[in-house]
Amino acid sequence: MKRATVFALTALLLSFGAVTQALAHKVIASVFTSGETIEGEIGFSNGDMAVDTLVEVFDGDGNKLGEVTTDSDGFFSFKPTQKVIHVFKSNLGAGHVAEVRMEIEELPEIAAASSVAETVEGAENSQVSSVEISNSDANAEAAAGAAISLAALEQNRELLREMIHREVTPLRREIAAYKEKNDFQTILGGIGYIVGLFGLFFYLAARRKLAQVQ
Amino acid sequence: MHIVDGALSNEVVIAGSVLAVGGIALGLKKLPMEKIPAAGVLSATFFVASLIHVPIGPSSVHLILNGLAGLILGWAAFPALFVGLLLQAVFFGFGGLTVLGVNTLNIALPAVAVFYLCRHGVAAASPMVAAIWGGIGGALSIVLTTLLVGVSLALSGEEFVPAAKLVFFTHIPVMAIEGLLTAFAIYLVRKVKPELFADLKVSSGGAQ
Repeated sequence: MKRATVFALTALLLSFGAVTQALAHKVIASVFTSGETIEGEIGFSNGDMAVDTLVEVFDGDGNKLGEVTTDSDGFFSFKPTQKVIHVFKSNLGAGHVAEVRMEIEELPEIAAASSVAETVEGAENSQVSSVEISNSDANAEAAAGAAISLAALEQNRELLREMIHREVTPLRREIAAYKEKNDFQTILGGIGYIVGLFGLFFYLAARRKLAQVQ
Repeated sequence: MHIVDGALSNEVVIAGSVLAVGGIALGLKKLPMEKIPAAGVLSATFFVASLIHVPIGPSSVHLILNGLAGLILGWAAFPALFVGLLLQAVFFGFGGLTVLGVNTLNIALPAVAVFYLCRHGVAAASPMVAAIWGGIGGALSIVLTTLLVGVSLALSGEEFVPAAKLVFFTHIPVMAIEGLLTAFAIYLVRKVKPELFADLKVSSGGAQ
């Protein structure tokens, strides 16, 4: 028995050596809002992304809202039209299924976004009209100034959003990878549980045997 | 290899759970006291082995080592592998708690099958022959597991042939690696601790 235990321990140690470079093979999917659209990423926890994969979008009750396909980086974007819970489902084959939910409060502000678009449109119209009037009226000039600053603000916001998105993407990826990390302590903890559980089995079996003897 | 939550239909999950519970009960009944430490060690080995990944193309597969567990434990592989799977699901998020029964069945049933198919071979007089049978057992258990995964997916509505094919082909390297690993393990055990299979011979020869 002693020799077998030694053998088993050696085998375990050997496998530990390989563990350090191993990664979990798990599907990770995340969704987040970006402006008026919901963007998401689907991939495996070892860093491979799900390329050209169909993502189906459902509401909270399972009614299909639409579908999108991921690009070469496992990235997809979906423009929500209703204020409902969005559930994104994707089947990566071989029993790998990704499912992420986006709650209503996380949804991009659809109504607000459309109203902003209208104001911008309105502002642009007034801008054009003010140019036609060609500065003859002081009021029109003021309106044109306001319109330009509004348009600039909107442009800035778009730019800022894009910039933040670019900055945050690697961070988000790192967090996703960190969540999937199996550190040494977890592995040791799991083995500890196994040892304890089988120790308990052993104790119960031994007690039963002792009771039989007596 | 681990099927995740939500990939299977409810019927398959329930049927798998029921069968797995039956297997675990039978395994615990057939687990003699002397084999409990071996079951624990193999459970831990299985738990760790699934963290060893073999990168293949766009995806990667991991070792399972259910053949080895089956050869040494027989029906007791069911509780041993179940414990390993449970902890993997809890700690690493492999598979999931609802599909635990199906995963246990998919991994432990081939182990038991290999036990019945290869136990005479592994108990052969020559350690070399035993090692070859061990290798066959190690590879065969993976083949059977891929087929069972394919069947579970097929019963849940996926096309059987493409699903099974995908799982099968990505696991060919694992079959080779596990075959070799199991062969070496069996060879080593036969050399350093032949008693481990001595009772295998007795139990297989005796009334069972």
